[in-house]
Amino acid sequence: MTDLWKERLRRHQLDQFKYLRLIFNDNFVLAFIVLIGALGFWYSNFLDTINQVNIFGKPIVIILYWLIAQSGSVATLLEEPDSTFLLVKEKDFYDYFKAAKNYSSMLPIVTIALVGFLMSPFAFKAAGLSVLSIVILTLGVIVYKFTMINFEVFGIYGKDSFKGMSAKNWLNLLLLALLIVSTYLSSFVLVIVAVILLGVVISKSQAICESGQLQWQSAIAKENQRMFRIKRFYNLFTDVPGVNSKIRRRKWLDFLFKGIKQEQGNTYLYLFARGFVRNNEYIGLFFRLTVIQAIMLCLIDNFYISLIVEMLFIYLVGFQLKPYFKETMQNLMQRIYPVKQADKIKDFTKLSTFVLFVQWLISAFAILYKFSFSMNSLIIIAAGLAVLVFVGYFYIPRQLKKII
Amino acid sequence: MTLELKELTGGYGQVSVLKKETFTVEDGQVVGLIGLNGAGKSTTIKHIIGLLTPRGGQILIDGMSLQDNVEEYRKKIAYVPEMPILYSELTLKEHINLTIMAYGLDHDKTWEKAHELLKTFRLDNKLDWFPQNFSKGMKQKVMIVCAFMTDARLFIIDEPFTGLDPLAVNDLLNIVEEKKQKGCSVLMSTHVLATVQDHADKFILLNHGQVRADGTLDELKEKFDMQNGNLDDIYIKMSNEDQ
Repeated sequence: MTDLWKERLRRHQLDQFKYLRLIFNDNFVLAFIVLIGALGFWYSNFLDTINQVNIFGKPIVIILYWLIAQSGSVATLLEEPDSTFLLVKEKDFYDYFKAAKNYSSMLPIVTIALVGFLMSPFAFKAAGLSVLSIVILTLGVIVYKFTMINFEVFGIYGKDSFKGMSAKNWLNLLLLALLIVSTYLSSFVLVIVAVILLGVVISKSQAICESGQLQWQSAIAKENQRMFRIKRFYNLFTDVPGVNSKIRRRKWLDFLFKGIKQEQGNTYLYLFARGFVRNNEYIGLFFRLTVIQAIMLCLIDNFYISLIVEMLFIYLVGFQLKPYFKETMQNLMQRIYPVKQADKIKDFTKLSTFVLFVQWLISAFAILYKFSFSMNSLIIIAAGLAVLVFVGYFYIPRQLKKII
Repeated sequence: MTLELKELTGGYGQVSVLKKETFTVEDGQVVGLIGLNGAGKSTTIKHIIGLLTPRGGQILIDGMSLQDNVEEYRKKIAYVPEMPILYSELTLKEHINLTIMAYGLDHDKTWEKAHELLKTFRLDNKLDWFPQNFSKGMKQKVMIVCAFMTDARLFIIDEPFTGLDPLAVNDLLNIVEEKKQKGCSVLMSTHVLATVQDHADKFILLNHGQVRADGTLDELKEKFDMQNGNLDDIYIKMSNEDQ
């Protein structure tokens, strides 16, 4: 069984590396470097403004710790056919899940440690916690996370509810209470309780799992959902096969299509506009990038960084629209329409220019909010418009010609 | 409308699936394209609708090739693929609107026809549905509606009888008959020989990318020297010739 796990893990990691390589090749990474830089810049500025212990300090620390404890779950790497082919091996699966549990603990440790580390200056200044208590608290959260992961394995055997509430909810409530006690009274409380709890859970683990029954359907469904979340994340940066983007009707946005007259010249605009609005993948991408951009522009008061953010994000949205055109062009039916090839590019350009225009408008408001009506804000807004014109009228049409 | 294939050679990539294929579909004719899996039926169709470019030979619709006038050529053809191809982001109603726009049809008149067809196929109450809510057969019906509401003169249907329920098959055959009366031509590829035997005027038997024989059922019987045989028997005899 552990061999099966090792084989699955190897394949899984190979898959992950493949996608990670694709992501880090993409020029989308540029945006993240800028984003991290900007956030770091903002964070250090923000820390400078804190001169004394704030009453909101401790609650914020508690909430952040609690939220980060939610990250990550057991990667079982179960597959659909398992419930048919490996049904006879059910009893042996405990070892498999044990290996899965150990593997799944690594990423949360790193995440919690990293967040604890990044949070420490804030916790020190605003919440008035000593360095030692921050370390102890972070350690406590890590140990507690192990317990949570163990309970997830119990869930696979249908043994994770207690008095009508799921173990997850109980654990979250307990964690919140422990965090409050630990930050306000003694930071050792969390780590002590966590260690005891983990000891009990580990010693009883096998007995608990064997008293239950492996819930194949729900375990496989859970794993599929988990994989889907990961793949959807990768899908933001690169094409992931098998991630079918969700379609939503969004009737309330129908007014956007009113301007599109139903005539032959508009055939593709009719199609592109509806597809963009209803396909979560593309409107989601536009929405996320536009919001991130607007928030960054509202926070950053450095002229050059704002200028880069304004130009880069408009370029990025335009760049990320290309796959949508490609996807539509793969539909066989549209290839036999008696419509000129040039119309496809013309209509897509109309859509992309409109989308970028909306983004530019929103970003312009953010810039005016931060820099008010000044020479600087006008320069940034004009630069954004220049990128819009470049992407909309030169870059995209040329790229699309290559696709057709 | 006449469709002429003259020594058509072509296929995917470097491999020529079709070798000097020649046949005609005359005005007001319903023609069945018959052959084993891999005989070249779908490849022939893809060449006719212009998804593949011939490596040699000619395809003419009313004496006009695709290169002569792409838009006019395509307007003359309506195509129903074997696997339904729909836009996942468009509702049924919008698929019909899009087709009307793409083929430059009159909006109101075409909708009248569309409504009739939708009613026939019991889709008239599903206008706001997305493709993901349709079964395979329903999707196929949507494709049929979108094809048969156009003013095309040549209808090409790839394997129409497998996904449809018996009632829908019957409805489709009625619609084909109607189009035939109006002088349109229909080319359909199929494996359901019993159905096509009763409803087609002419058959083209394809083997290894070449036309092994074509003609009416009586002509085929003569060619294969099987006076009492039906299409099934002829088909099996043709398949056995290879061995």
